[in-house]
Amino acid sequence: MSDIANALRDLKEDEVKKLVDRRLAAGEPPVSLLAELNQGMVAVGELFSEKKYFISQLIFSAEILKNVMAKLEPLLQAGPQTESKGKVVIGTVKGDIHDIGKNIVAALLKGAGFEVIDLGVDVPGEKFIQAVRDSGAKVLGMSALLNFTYPEMKTVVESLAAAGLRDKVKVMIGGAPCNEQVRAFTGADYYAPDAVAGVNICQEIYA
Amino acid sequence: MSNVDLQELFNQRLGRYQAAIAMEPLDRMPVACGSNYFAEVYSGNTNQQTIYDPAKWLEAEMAFIRDFPEVDVLRNSRIYAPMFDAVNCLTYRLPGRDLPARTQFQFVEQEYMKADEYDQLIENPTLFLINTWLPRIMGELATPGSARATMALIKAGMTQMQMGEIMRTRGIRLQNECGMPQPMAGFFLAPFDAIADAMRGLTATMMDMYRQPEKLKQACDALVDEMVNLALSTGDPFRRYPIFVPTHKPMFLSPEQFDEFYWPSFKAVLQKLHQAGYAVRAYLEGDWGQHWKHLLELPKGSVLCDIDSQGDIFKALDELGHHQCLAGGVADSVLILGTPREMREQVKRLCEAAGKDKRLLINGGCNIPYDTKPENYRAMLDAIMEFGQYDSSLKPTPKPEGIVPFQSAPARKVLTSWETRKAEWGGVQGDEALIREPWERFEAMAYAFIWQWVL
Repeated sequence: MSDIANALRDLKEDEVKKLVDRRLAAGEPPVSLLAELNQGMVAVGELFSEKKYFISQLIFSAEILKNVMAKLEPLLQAGPQTESKGKVVIGTVKGDIHDIGKNIVAALLKGAGFEVIDLGVDVPGEKFIQAVRDSGAKVLGMSALLNFTYPEMKTVVESLAAAGLRDKVKVMIGGAPCNEQVRAFTGADYYAPDAVAGVNICQEIYA
Repeated sequence: MSNVDLQELFNQRLGRYQAAIAMEPLDRMPVACGSNYFAEVYSGNTNQQTIYDPAKWLEAEMAFIRDFPEVDVLRNSRIYAPMFDAVNCLTYRLPGRDLPARTQFQFVEQEYMKADEYDQLIENPTLFLINTWLPRIMGELATPGSARATMALIKAGMTQMQMGEIMRTRGIRLQNECGMPQPMAGFFLAPFDAIADAMRGLTATMMDMYRQPEKLKQACDALVDEMVNLALSTGDPFRRYPIFVPTHKPMFLSPEQFDEFYWPSFKAVLQKLHQAGYAVRAYLEGDWGQHWKHLLELPKGSVLCDIDSQGDIFKALDELGHHQCLAGGVADSVLILGTPREMREQVKRLCEAAGKDKRLLINGGCNIPYDTKPENYRAMLDAIMEFGQYDSSLKPTPKPEGIVPFQSAPARKVLTSWETRKAEWGGVQGDEALIREPWERFEAMAYAFIWQWVL
């Protein structure tokens, strides 16, 4: 791994900034820096899976990345376009306004190179369906913190079928009140027990 | 039932609950959930009615007690929404107001304190709250000193008094008419949570752990006595019930971060409350599996720990169950989506894992959900009655001196001391005690009023 990837993996905020600035000044293309940052984020996810990192460290890595990306994004847009790993529609289901879990998953997905269509919180079913239809995303991720959302998640899955989209998209659910029993009830394809598992599921679907 | 019988029932239930917390012998496992949301709406009332219409709320719970008489405690303190309206509290969205009437209320986390304001918080936490923080979390106080802000504070004080009256009346009616004690009274937060929930917000606090760790730790230390004061100001004066603390952020922390930032100030608060004769009921929200070993550092039977659905109750029983009473074991999904048979099997497993020596209160993860199926709840109680019997010769009775022995309690905090007030008057002419007692009482009430908004 490169020095940037290592610094991000080790959560050295100032060092990541310094290295990115230095390499940009030296005329390196932002696309290659982005690839290194992605590697660093993948390494953070691995440490989380090994229980060496915890959610606070996922949040901090995402924050470091966000700040660097604010600098890189204008440069990236000016340069040659890179192919994303795939599109993922994500949101917190209707009635629930909690976004911590959803934001962590979205940040890690972006860090891993996915294009994330983040619909925010309290997302009505129609909006999920519309976004899946418009984007052609192969994954729909629904997040929830409150347990009254079980029927709502089921309704969204049923609406996907009614809209003729069910075989075009895999549905993944996650959040505190979710488990395998809830997945079975809602008719979703996957239950992600944590944020990194959610990213891995998306990798698998787009593999 | 006669009044004597109801008093007897109250004593049995309270005694059983207190004995479980204290890790003492029991006749049977208590049915003692802390947050029984299912009961709050049991009569078919809306969540909005629970927080706006105290009579409807009591009706729901009386119907619940009639149908589920095995229950040993039922929560008494919920928010009284008109108080939140009076100041336009921005940290909550309320059912019927900003949310559909049948939805539960939800907390709104924002950066209400800025990254460079730690010094002010550390220097004088209460002044920081009054001058800087309250105007940010209360829409009506956006322009301090304005006519609307003044009106809002007057109304807030009035609604606070009324809320106290509502809760007191409820407690007395549940005791006298239903023989029903409470799972907890009073509340506080761990200092780290007070900062991370209501002041800085989660993401900013996570950044602070890396960018300004010393400030964050100093601020946590500065909040220890404030949280003790809030707990003692709101707790049961007779010390019959544990004081409630929900914990929100440990689930995000690494063990090292927990040890460095969260635990020292939280432990200090817990120790001071223990000295003051109170047990604590702590909701260990999320997965505390990496952190709960620390509860072994506190006296045996002093902290009742609710294990959330993400935590492993069997592991908790192994690692902590010999030292503190635990609650939990039934996932939300089993209560909402499961079957009575599934419930019975889970309760049986839990009773076997707890055995005779550990104290477990079978419960959902820190709550019984609103959407619980009545037949699943019934199955849970039936199974507890079947598998949770211990020693029928024991007759539970409440402890005369509260849950844990009283050692000492600090005086209540005030902003303007009696000495200051008296000096400004140049002394008083008549009986000083007659003036001093209510002065200090209302000062202390107003002081607690300010701090309660961190929850």
